[in-house]
Parts: sequence; structure tokens; C-alpha cells
Amino acid sequence: MMGAPGLTTGHLAPDTPEEAFRAWLRRLVTDTAELEAFDAGQIDAVMDRDSGSALLLPEAQSALHDANRIVLSALDALPGEVCVLDTRGVVVMANKAWRSSGAAHQRAGLDVRAGENIFAACEDVPESERADATKVAVALHQVLTRMRPSQSCHYVCHASPTRPRYTLTMTATASAGSVNALVTREWKTALKSVKEQPGTRSRSAELSAPAPGIKNHLLAALPAKDFARLASGFEAVQLTYGEILYEPGAPMHDVYFPSDCLVSLLTLVEGHRALEVGLVGREGMIGARLALGAATSSVRALVQGTGTALRMNSARFLTEFRRSPALQRTLFQFTDTLMIQISQTAACNRFHLVEARLARWLLMTAERMASNQFHLTHEFLADMLGVRREGVTVAASALQQRKLISYRRGNITIIDSPGLEAASCSCYRAVMERARPG
Amino acid sequence: MAPKPAKHVPGKAPVATVVTMRLYIAGRAPNSVKAIANLEAICRQHLKDGYKLEIIDVCEHPRRALDDGVLVTPSLAKLAPHPGANVIGNLSDTSSVLAALGLTTVPAT
Repeated sequence: MMGAPGLTTGHLAPDTPEEAFRAWLRRLVTDTAELEAFDAGQIDAVMDRDSGSALLLPEAQSALHDANRIVLSALDALPGEVCVLDTRGVVVMANKAWRSSGAAHQRAGLDVRAGENIFAACEDVPESERADATKVAVALHQVLTRMRPSQSCHYVCHASPTRPRYTLTMTATASAGSVNALVTREWKTALKSVKEQPGTRSRSAELSAPAPGIKNHLLAALPAKDFARLASGFEAVQLTYGEILYEPGAPMHDVYFPSDCLVSLLTLVEGHRALEVGLVGREGMIGARLALGAATSSVRALVQGTGTALRMNSARFLTEFRRSPALQRTLFQFTDTLMIQISQTAACNRFHLVEARLARWLLMTAERMASNQFHLTHEFLADMLGVRREGVTVAASALQQRKLISYRRGNITIIDSPGLEAASCSCYRAVMERARPG
Repeated sequence: MAPKPAKHVPGKAPVATVVTMRLYIAGRAPNSVKAIANLEAICRQHLKDGYKLEIIDVCEHPRRALDDGVLVTPSLAKLAPHPGANVIGNLSDTSSVLAALGLTTVPAT
């Protein structure tokens, strides 16, 4: 980008990343009036033609962040379940009641989290809930296009064993010329535990099949009676991006079975950045090392995809592990898969180019999140791949130019999965094939 | 300079010039919030109902801003009556906003 003639951004080296970013943004501004306003601190954002987006100045970013925090804390104080959608149906905020009831219901039905698109979620529901989800999508579309100020829809979570039901009320709210929606959710059935209820023969017959509504693959693979015994020790928790579950050498107090969150396993080497050696989502668990007799973690376990998990304390887990041969088999198989992934990742980090590794990593993430869209910063990707941030920028741009992904302000969308697989290194396929049982 | 809108004539529908403006802002960022408040105050005081204002949030509609040649926000564009004008910043300098909108009665010295 060209600098403004006769103007310099100053010879002093910027002290902080914010100052460096501001200096970089200033170079995008070329007209005198705009520069004057910029230097007077009257500018919030600079348009970037290259990315086609608005780049917020650090103060604007932090003000928006603070404003969002204030609004979210106000929403959190409400007893009802509320979320806010933007014009495209993406959840901008979801209050505490919404988040915790979604987690408690194992994300049954049409549960959406911050950053997820409710229209996409409507298409992603099981067949038995399709009719209800379509009604929600149509009603929401009417609200967001100003055809109706407010709409209510009933939704029955047919795919969940206890079939809970709720009413969604969507109300239009206008801001800066666009329409957003406020959504409230009111459950019509009391929250029930996933634990078995005393029941009839037909209920017992249902329980002999893998438990429906259990998103974690290890738990879903357990015979129903083994799962039912485990169930009372589980607590549904929300794990948030950036949260650290374990540190190397520290005791593992709890184990986690991800439902729809994603956790990176990082190795720390003194004097270097953390490096990702493994990635665990709904296909696995965090804390499997306990089953091998270890009490402490060998890696840092860092949540990199916000979502829910079932948590159990380690003592209870070990008790259940010792008494359930099915759980032992499942966990040994998972540990073997994880070891394959870790050894392949070690080789991959050493031998393969950043672009191919980035492609592999995006595919693995998409597979574990069951979504082709996620939010990741360059900084974070650099940590995951053990390279400098610039390396990620170049690799992401290359994949974007080849129309395999789109990358905008940290939002990554995989546009062409097969193409991305072709661009990824052989490790992606190798792990998939070697991990396959038999 | 465009002439000041004609005074209301009793008994006759006023045929006042409607000032059409577009304000580009970045969500609820501080300067954007100030710009909206400052512009609304100016409009209330000087234009009454004789204006049309479209507010465009560049975080949601960056394409609109880029297509309109807007480089920074907040940024106010006066589209009508002719001639067009732009004011950059949070619009706290009322006199420059009035001048851009062609509403200065006494020329600034």
C-alpha cells in the first residue's frame, strides 16, 4: 500500500502491537482531510480495499468489546433465555441462561451459540425435526426482512430421548438501517437428566441401542447400560475459546468428553512458541492419559473451539473405567488413534510446507467441529502450526486465491473441501486411514 | 453555497429543499456514536423535517462503503441538493458540518 506523500508515520518504532497496527492503518489513509481526522482521533475504522472489509482502530475495537461486554452482562442478568442475531441470522450474543440450558439439554434441537448461523443450524437438524426447523427459518426470515415485527414458533426436539419442547419468539430490532432479531426461548418441559428414568420395557429396549443425542463418539459407542452408569457423574459444561484445561505436569482433576467443542494438545519447549501436537473433538476425550495410569498431563490442553462437553471428575472416571470393559476398549482404541495423530503431526511439522499443513489442519478442525465455518486468528493458527504469523498469512492467502477457503476478519469458511484435501499434505489421509479400526 | 431552505408560508404546503445525506459509521464505536448524535442534533436544530438520512454500518456493509469511495468512518456524505460534500470525523465541529450541508447563514470569518 502506498504511503501518503509528504507524510510519515513517524520514525519511532511502535512500542505495542496496537501502535504498530495504528501506524499500518494510517498508511492506508491517503487524503488530507481523512488524515487530519485520523490524527485528531476522530476515526473508528479504515476501509481496506484488499480484504474488502472495515478495519477497526484499536480504541474502537476495545470500545466495541466493552460495549458488548456491558450488553452481555445485562443480558446475563436476565432469568430468561435470550440471544441476539444479526441481519444474516448469526448469533451475536447469547445470554447465560441460553448457554447453560443449551448445554444442559445436550444442545438438543435448534441450539445455537455465538458465531453460529441459525439458518445454517435449521438445515442441519435431524430429519425428524426438519418441519419445525423450517418453520423457524421462515418466521425468522420474515422478521429480518421487516415483513413481521415478531413471530413465535414451537419446536419439539424429536431426536432427543426425552423429547423436550420449547417456544422460540423472534422480535425485530432495528439498528443503523439494518434489522437484527432478539430471540427468546421458553422450555415447555422441565429439564431432565440424560440419566435413565425408571421406565417400561420399550424404554429399556431403546436403551440397548447407542444413546441418541449423545454427540461424543466415544460415549455414543458405549452400550446403553454402561453409558447410563456413567451418566450420573457427568456435568454438561461450556468450554470457551482460550480456556486451558490442563497444563503440562499438573494434575488432571477432571476428564472431558467434547460434544461440539475442540481442544488442542500443545507441547511446550522452553524458549519456543507452543506447538500443537494433537487435536481432539467429539471423536475423543481429554484426559485419556488417566486410563494409562498417569495422574498428570503431559501437554497443555487448550480450548480452541467454543462448545460444550461432558465433564467428570477423575476419581469417578477411574472407578467407572475399571468396572467397564466396554469403556476400556473404547478408550484404548481412541488412545491408539491419538498416538497415530501425534506421531504423524510430529513428522508433518518437520517435513511439510505451511500451506499443506494449514490445509490439513483446517480439514481436521472442520471434521471435529462438524462445520465448515469457524473463527480463528492468524496468531492462533501460527501457534497451532508452530510458524510465524506471516507464514500463516501467506499460506491462507494462497488457499484463498485458489478459492479453497475464504478468510475474512478471522472467519474461515471452507469453500471447496475436496480441493482443500488435495492441497493438504498426505498426513491428513494417512491419519484417517490408519485410525480406521480393522 | 446553496440557499437556505425557504421559510414556511402559512396556508401553503412548504416546498423546502430536502437535504439528503448518508452517514457511514462503524457499529457502536465511540466516534460513530458521537457522529450520529452530533448530526441528529444539527438536523433537529437546522433542518427540522427537511432531511433524509441513511446510516450505513460499514462493519455490516463494507461493500457499500467501498463502492461509494469511502475510506474512513465516521464519514458524512451530502448527496443532495447539489453540490455534494463530505465531512470526515465525529462531526463535533458544527460549523464545518453546516458549511458542508450548505446551511451557513453567516459566513465563518
